Amino acid sequence: MNIYISRWAGRALLMVSTVACAAGALVAPQAGADATDDYPIPHRQIETHCDAEQYLAAARDTSPIYFERYMIDKSNRPPEIQQMAVDRIHWFYSLDAAGRRQYSEDTATNIYYEQVATRWGNWAKVFFNNKGVVARATDVCADYPPADMTVWNWPVPH
Amino acid sequence: MKRPIVAGTLAALTAISMVWTAPAHADVDTDFADALHGYGIYGQRDFNAWLAKITCKRLTTGVDADASASAVFLSRNLAPGSSTEQIWQFLGAAIPRYCPPHTPALIVMAQEEV
Repeated sequence: MNIYISRWAGRALLMVSTVACAAGALVAPQAGADATDDYPIPHRQIETHCDAEQYLAAARDTSPIYFERYMIDKSNRPPEIQQMAVDRIHWFYSLDAAGRRQYSEDTATNIYYEQVATRWGNWAKVFFNNKGVVARATDVCADYPPADMTVWNWPVPH
Repeated sequence: MKRPIVAGTLAALTAISMVWTAPAHADVDTDFADALHGYGIYGQRDFNAWLAKITCKRLTTGVDADASASAVFLSRNLAPGSSTEQIWQFLGAAIPRYCPPHTPALIVMAQEEV
């Protein structure tokens, strides 16, 4: 009898401790949001002092095929959507690092937060989606002229 | 600094002359890939073809003013460790195949350097 009691008591103790561990694992991290340092927007993009045109010109040189694909994708959107994307990325670069970080967090936690993305899912792909592309372009973007809108006029095959 | 350019432009001239003498395939990209393999330049066929086309577009749009600027662009985007000679060989193989109107400018530049 004593053996039975101690066996059941042992099992109960094991279950309690297992549940406690699982609950601890769930509540232990003090996460403020789902965004990380590089997701969804790489931290180099959040910290850069370059504007959209400087960054884009740099990406044209440092990740030319990625840039080309973005421009082809953009050219396949209606003009008003293309303009929305340009305006929105200008707005993004007008924010300071804290504002960009907040925006990154907002887009990570609410898929409907970014209205341009509801019309064109990859509207900021060359700017946000690839850490390597961002790293290579932000390394040198300060060497390019700011606010040079001609960089958006990239001929693509139709 | 002059020596790599001279060696490079000579490589470009050689690459151009090989385009004119080599039998043409139906597929330009395959033809181009074959030529690159002869220079020890590998990598994905589509990547290299696309890079060549973009190099042409940059010359046509004026983003790159001349073949030297093209070489700088390629040096950033070809596989790390590519030699100056290979960069110019890539250029010499790419221009006649993907944007022949730019070939004379490349030849003139190469002859001036030599």
